Amino acid sequence: MTATGNVPERVLVVWCPGWPETGTGGDEAARDEGAGPDAGHGAAEFGRVVSVVEGFCPRVEVLRPGACAIGTLGPARYFGGEAALATKIITAVGGAGFASQVGIADGLFAACLAAERARPVPGARPSPGARPVPGARPAAAPPGAVMTVAPGHTRAFLAPLPVSVLDSPELTDLLPRLGIRTLGEFAALPAAEVANRFGTAGVVAHRLARGLAPRPLAPRPPPADLSVSQEFDPPERRAEPVVFAAKTLAERMHNGLAASGLACVRVQVQAVWEDGRESTRLWRHDGLLSALAVADRVRWQLAGGPPAPSPAPPPGGDRTTVRIPAPIGAVKRTTDGYPRGHEGQGGGDEEVWGGGVRLLRLVPDQLVHDQGWQLGLWGDAVASDRVARAAVRVQAMLGHDAVTRPVLAGGRSPADQVTLVPFGSTDDRVPPRRRPGRPGAGRPGRPAPDRADEPDGLGAARVDGAGEPDRPWPGRIPAPSPATVYRAPLPARITDDSGATVTVSGRGVVSAPPARMSADGASWLVVTAWAGPWPVAERWWDPRTARRRARFQLVTEDGAAWLVAVQDGRWLIEARYD
Amino acid sequence: MPLLQRRHDEDALPGGGRLPVLPALRELLPEGLQRGTVVAVGRWSLLCLAVAAGASAAGAWCAAVGLPQLGVVAAADAGLDPGRMLLIPDPGAHWPQVVASLLDGCELVLVRPPGRPPAQVRTRLAATLRRCGGVLVVAGGWEGAQARLLVARQEWAGIGTGHGRLRACRVQVAADGRGAAARSRAQWLWLPGPDGSVGGADQVTISAPDMRDTG
Repeated sequence: MTATGNVPERVLVVWCPGWPETGTGGDEAARDEGAGPDAGHGAAEFGRVVSVVEGFCPRVEVLRPGACAIGTLGPARYFGGEAALATKIITAVGGAGFASQVGIADGLFAACLAAERARPVPGARPSPGARPVPGARPAAAPPGAVMTVAPGHTRAFLAPLPVSVLDSPELTDLLPRLGIRTLGEFAALPAAEVANRFGTAGVVAHRLARGLAPRPLAPRPPPADLSVSQEFDPPERRAEPVVFAAKTLAERMHNGLAASGLACVRVQVQAVWEDGRESTRLWRHDGLLSALAVADRVRWQLAGGPPAPSPAPPPGGDRTTVRIPAPIGAVKRTTDGYPRGHEGQGGGDEEVWGGGVRLLRLVPDQLVHDQGWQLGLWGDAVASDRVARAAVRVQAMLGHDAVTRPVLAGGRSPADQVTLVPFGSTDDRVPPRRRPGRPGAGRPGRPAPDRADEPDGLGAARVDGAGEPDRPWPGRIPAPSPATVYRAPLPARITDDSGATVTVSGRGVVSAPPARMSADGASWLVVTAWAGPWPVAERWWDPRTARRRARFQLVTEDGAAWLVAVQDGRWLIEARYD
Repeated sequence: MPLLQRRHDEDALPGGGRLPVLPALRELLPEGLQRGTVVAVGRWSLLCLAVAAGASAAGAWCAAVGLPQLGVVAAADAGLDPGRMLLIPDPGAHWPQVVASLLDGCELVLVRPPGRPPAQVRTRLAATLRRCGGVLVVAGGWEGAQARLLVARQEWAGIGTGHGRLRACRVQVAADGRGAAARSRAQWLWLPGPDGSVGGADQVTISAPDMRDTG
């Protein structure tokens, strides 16, 4: 049935239903109905499940939080067959406190689908796996469930499934429109034609649909504990010895990583004070930092001091943006508020704020195989070490988002023409546009839930092709550009000679020439020259972001020039030319 | 060793002890921006960006502290390289530390102090400047600045009452300072010119290159 040769190895997938996923894991309904007690587990929690599974087979591939896979060939033989292995794993994972389902099939793709379709509770939801597929036999094994697809029957198991299970948005959108609704229909297409029409991604999907292997399993890096730590007894009250120890620790950590052929994306620095408070921060590493650079980061972190006296555990989410509450000015009690300990200066007597440090630990985070690091070829955008150190240092004081780099973007108002990207963001896709009055909204690379927290749905801010500065943007204010662009437009009052507020009709007719202007409650200024109105209606198709304004340029008696707009009868100052 | 030497010199800019300025500003700042000094520009305006533009175009990194309203497009038009800019819009109360840290990495730091900086802060930053060899461009007053620039007069061209649009601004900039820059000077500049750039403006002719509006 299946083509010989490319038959993938037998794979067992352990799937914990309802684990919060960030990826497009496929089965929305299954996730929703399972998202009860398990919700809130993170990647770290799943590490416990992985270590249980590692008790059966040391080569475990973590697919995503909530799912991992092993090859069954050896373990099944040892534990007395695939069914016995599956039952043992479910029992063991259940013993650790997690409900799980197991799918066994030829290849990872089919095994994943089998795991998601193993149904323990009758009548929960009719799943395709419950159909009488030859070779598939759902076996109830409380508390979890197992679905085994017999060797060679993978293609038949996959055939009735909809193409939407393929993890490829283009294909799952396109194939149904071509009349191809199931994997079986897709698999029936000639491989050469698929390659012609759908390219590499299509070939991989086609191989999957035929029950072939797209690629071999990639075991996760060995879980050896590569963290290094040093205890200080008695607790060290000065920063300099701790930083010095950090340099030695960093060298040890780097040696340990290099011995395993690994690199870490980030390094976690954990400092525990004698009163039990601890400060934990993640610093981007990318295998690029020297031991001295790591020690510098430890120094900056210590300068922040321990968190405020009520020790709340660091939030489990994005810890890179946790701000140390203690201001850096508290490092030293001298009057000028400068932290000592600039590189190259003394500072050996600098006191660690808030008591002594008891423990310092460096934990390499997100281990990856060290494949070297390719810097950008064109040096322009690459910040030199010197600049990066300065920027990271300021980020240590103020938070990740406080140091930004501007990226020119497209837009009609001056505030739309720039996107601010936090320094060090390696994400190279076009970030969402910064909107007027929303500083820091242009944060790329953050997971979607973060953005959903923002009050006015900034996730929807990417409309009409933002980030294309060289597009025409009709209605854009022509050069010269204003040097002052207000993040939030200032309210203003603009009146005519008689003192009545100037209005603009729907047809763009000005009620009277503007004569006087007051910016944000300031004193009145005589308008000496003006031009406009230039009406602009933006995003009228989206009621939440639609904007209809009429813009003017004004020159006031003090020589300043202004870009003002009237919207819904209210005058706003968008920018100032000065 | 030659390789190391070259790497070390990569960040060095032409001009040695000073950073270059735009050609239009050479009369006002004949010595360029002397490393380790402060240049005070009366208040936040395009002039601050124009002062920084020459060095930025020559490859210097420029950080802007406490300037949330900085118009990046205007900066780019004036000659700054947006790819070599760092923006720290809200440094908070600890802006001197932020500036000191940035001076370690950037040749140019633009700052608008929230108030009148106390003498102690100025002394401390002056020491940092001398050590790092950067240039601090202050949008505001700064006692002891090496050079001071001030917009004395400005006239907008291209806009009438109800017609035209802002085309260019003719600005008279006055400069004085200490040491070799002590002689006070004044110069007319297009700030900005019709395309946003900065250029010298003739004192006599009032009209901009094309002041007639087509719309």
